[in-house]
Amino acid sequence: MIMSERRQSGPAVQLKEAPAGPIMKPDAEQTRPNAPDGQTDLQLVRKARQGDRSAFDLLVLKYQSRVASIISRYIYDSQEVMDLTQETFVKAYRAIERFRGDSAFYTWLYRIAVNTAKNFLEARGRRPQGVADVADAESYEDGGRLREVASPEGFLQRDQLREALEKAIGALPEELRSAFLLREYEGLSYEDIARILECPIGTVRSRIFRARDAIDRQLGPMLDNS
Amino acid sequence: MDDRLRETLSAMMDDQADELAVRRVLSHPDQQAVREQWQRWQRIRDVIHEAPHGDAGVDVRAAVRDSLDRAADAEVAQRRTIRRRHAPWRWSAVAMIALGVAVGFGAGSGWEVMSEGSPDHLVPVQAQAPAAASGTVPEVAIQGLNERQREQISRYLLEHAQYNSIGAGHGALGYARVTSVSGQGY
Repeated sequence: MIMSERRQSGPAVQLKEAPAGPIMKPDAEQTRPNAPDGQTDLQLVRKARQGDRSAFDLLVLKYQSRVASIISRYIYDSQEVMDLTQETFVKAYRAIERFRGDSAFYTWLYRIAVNTAKNFLEARGRRPQGVADVADAESYEDGGRLREVASPEGFLQRDQLREALEKAIGALPEELRSAFLLREYEGLSYEDIARILECPIGTVRSRIFRARDAIDRQLGPMLDNS
Repeated sequence: MDDRLRETLSAMMDDQADELAVRRVLSHPDQQAVREQWQRWQRIRDVIHEAPHGDAGVDVRAAVRDSLDRAADAEVAQRRTIRRRHAPWRWSAVAMIALGVAVGFGAGSGWEVMSEGSPDHLVPVQAQAPAAASGTVPEVAIQGLNERQREQISRYLLEHAQYNSIGAGHGALGYARVTSVSGQGY
């Protein structure tokens, strides 16, 4: 796939000459483009603890896909996967006071998801099949069974979506594309991107937003229909 | 939702928004618009990173909300039921406590009022002479009561002082005073 190739060969970014002085090496966690965020999650958790349901909604929307993917490693039925995904978030909300912030929110959520799935299986007299350890929590490419149980139409839709996404990224102005790719594919912080592109952090922030916005407008109808 | 707020939301996607900015997003009146935008961008990210999201996407947010709302409503209803069930008992308990306090205060303050500067007719006859002679505080006046009545009243007061002394700081004081009704004095 073109996207995979891009990941291997690196983003198509026209970089200016490296600035003088040491360039901060990105943190190992940050180089993975799919590393779960920390600061935003903690802020949302804090607000959720104060009873702000909207904050928790954003956490659900952010992680529901991944949680479903984890659960689908244990459960094959897609409706049961949805039910258990829902149950995971309900449990997480009820236990949110106990989240101490020692680990990333997603890691904590991941454990709840795994336990929920295992308990479900044990209640049904079934032994948990797959093994999903905590290290998997950091890996975005869960590639769970959810993909396998998706319909052929679903696969087609996803392929079309990916194709449309590539086109949309390709159509971006160079400066927006560079910032977006460095963020989404390389997982670099705004600070590092600013250093690489030799522009202020505010400019990086603005460019990434405009890139997302442009892609969203291009994909809009497809996202609505899927 | 204006571009400034959407840019903040975009920064939240990248863990680059401060607490004030997050608060601004969460306090926006149109939370549905916020959720929709956030969800779209999360889905785009899912596609970029090839995260499986099923043929129709995974969306349990509304179901989670409903479940939490139902649980919260059930909790409120349960608390209301418990409160209603205990309400009559609660008022009885309050009344009993109030009565006990009133009796206790009555016993205590009654001794105070009667022992200081009591008119002659209130001072027990048998205690009057020795109290006057020794200069001690005269005993509580029990006017015109025969032996049997004095015995009854002292038993009554003793019982109530006993009751008040349980758990009350100064209850023992009342108890001590009551024992003096028997006429022994100090």
